[in-house]
Amino acid sequence: MKIKGLILPTVAGICLVYAAVSIAQSHPQRVLTDPPKAPPRTSFAHTIAAVGLIEPSSESIHIGSHRIGVVTKVNVIAGDKVAKDQVLFRLDTRDLSAQRKTALAKIAQATAESRTTAVLLDQARRRLKSANSLTDPRALATEERDDRASECARLEAQLATSQATIALAQAELETVETEITRSTVTSPIDGTVLQVRVREGEFIEGGSSNDPRLIVGTIDPLHLRADIDEFEIARLKPGAKAIASPRGDAERKYELQFVRYEPLVIPKKSLTGDSTERVDTRVLQAIFRLKNPDDRLFIGQQMDVFIESHPRKSDS
Amino acid sequence: MTYVAFQMLIGDRAKYIGLLFAVAFSTFLLQNQTSIFSNLMKRAGNQIRDVTDADVWVMAPKTEYFDQTKALQESDLQKVRGVSGVDYAVRIFKGLPIAKTRKGQFAACSVLGLDDATLLGAPRNMILGNWQDLWKPNCIVLDKAGYLLLFPGEELKLGQELELNDQRVKVVGISDALPAFTTFPLIHARYTEALTFQGRQRQQLSFVLVRPTVGTSPDELATRIAEQTGLMALTTSQFQRASVVYYLKNTGIPVNFGITVVVSIIVGLVVTGQTFYLFILENLKQFGALKAIGVTNGSMLGMVLFQSSLVWFVGVSIGTALSATFFNISSLVIQLRHFIFFWESAVGVAAFMLLIIALASSAGLMRVIRLQPAEVFRS
Repeated sequence: MKIKGLILPTVAGICLVYAAVSIAQSHPQRVLTDPPKAPPRTSFAHTIAAVGLIEPSSESIHIGSHRIGVVTKVNVIAGDKVAKDQVLFRLDTRDLSAQRKTALAKIAQATAESRTTAVLLDQARRRLKSANSLTDPRALATEERDDRASECARLEAQLATSQATIALAQAELETVETEITRSTVTSPIDGTVLQVRVREGEFIEGGSSNDPRLIVGTIDPLHLRADIDEFEIARLKPGAKAIASPRGDAERKYELQFVRYEPLVIPKKSLTGDSTERVDTRVLQAIFRLKNPDDRLFIGQQMDVFIESHPRKSDS
Repeated sequence: MTYVAFQMLIGDRAKYIGLLFAVAFSTFLLQNQTSIFSNLMKRAGNQIRDVTDADVWVMAPKTEYFDQTKALQESDLQKVRGVSGVDYAVRIFKGLPIAKTRKGQFAACSVLGLDDATLLGAPRNMILGNWQDLWKPNCIVLDKAGYLLLFPGEELKLGQELELNDQRVKVVGISDALPAFTTFPLIHARYTEALTFQGRQRQQLSFVLVRPTVGTSPDELATRIAEQTGLMALTTSQFQRASVVYYLKNTGIPVNFGITVVVSIIVGLVVTGQTFYLFILENLKQFGALKAIGVTNGSMLGMVLFQSSLVWFVGVSIGTALSATFFNISSLVIQLRHFIFFWESAVGVAAFMLLIIALASSAGLMRVIRLQPAEVFRS
């Protein structure tokens, strides 16, 4: 009887242990984890975070064309090093060559005309001279002598006109030749060709460079343009230290050397690319030089930037 | 005396078993209801809890709960990064697009867009596949319940395709993500891709996730971020709580469960209390006899206490084991996944049962103490 009575309490004890074990086992443990790839971290106690774009120290030069026309020859490919005034591409100049020939012909024509006039003038002068050299006024009618003088004057004027025509034709020739020179696009600086989006046979419009055909820039040194939120401007420290790391590779940190601020605070560049996007904040752009860039950095790459700053007033 | 008390208790087996059943089932009912209720409400904060890579959530001011967000500006991420005490801050996107399968099955899905550079918030508990495959283009991880919802009757396999906002994506992983309160399938994708699932919006950054530097507590950092950026910053547990509280306030669930719990309490109280009280009353003769042979009130008290605590121990243990078994089995059911038996509920209900039995036995005890030994012989 005694043992019988103890069965239930014993079973209860086992039940309790079972319940306790079940609870302990099913109780979820929330273990903190680290992100799969390290996120960007600052190296400074007080920091301003910004997003930056790598750009050439000359900034990107969107090469423009003076003339419109069809490209006949592209002399560079992307990545080429170019010297100042080196030819980048040429436009078709056949129309200009034709104009040049016309201009040359005009010069020849005007020259020939002026030569004829010069001969005639020479003759007229001689005739006037002989008339003037007559000692007896009655040997020639007064009218005839006046006519000879007029003829001389007329031919002088005609010669001047011819010479002016030559000058005009020459000027025309020079204009055409200038246009021909302007059909060849050259590099404005010693630098590197960053992008070539022009191919032989393509038509080039002049004007706006929103859609650049060819980009040239100086890539040594590399610069970084960081957008600093206008709310953080007060905390900027002159000549502050800064570091940057590429997106997706926060372990790699590059030291930055401050170069300058853009004097103008501008609207934040749209990120979604939507043309109807409204501006919600303005940014101050700071230019930094990458102290030791390596070949794993590319122009146009986005970087997370941390700039050493003054502490906030509320930071103790 | 203890032996006598024990014999007195088990002497009438039917009453003894009845008493234990009353206690055990009341315990089971209460533990079951309170645990299910807590589990259900806890789901409101599960998606927050599931992100184990961060401790502080930064969101638009006045955000009430996880499922309703207002987008932040992209520049807010930089602002948060500029707060001292921040070890890292990473963006995350939350959207609710419609996913469609080839067979035409469709469902609104809760999409988390993980920062492309870090994949912070990646689902670590995988059933099939690797979350690392999220680095590949147009790939997503879907949770198991979502998979079963979108591909009913199909076995779990990778490589299934979904259409989200006219984009084809491939399921490269099936996760065991903690279930959300809403029953939407949970999708993990990369930030830039998740944005395109939703269609274009002006601002798209839902949350900034932050971890404090060593030596800064999450609470401290959350306060500091809120002060300095004007945004709302909550620690993981604060945000979880806020989401749970939102659903508690705004749904009928607490009322519903509350009624059940109250009824269980009343039933437990009445059944257990009354049974135990009756048990003492029926044994009043025995107590009277004991009193007549000179047993003191102190010993009587000891006897009743012993009886009540034994009933409590056996009843509650069996009830708790029933509850534990219930939750062990229910966790295998996909709709009840991650429902656990809270130890708080187990201990709380046990304590509550102790209180009920104490009340019942003290009522009985009053009778025992006031009892005149002579009364036994009167009738």
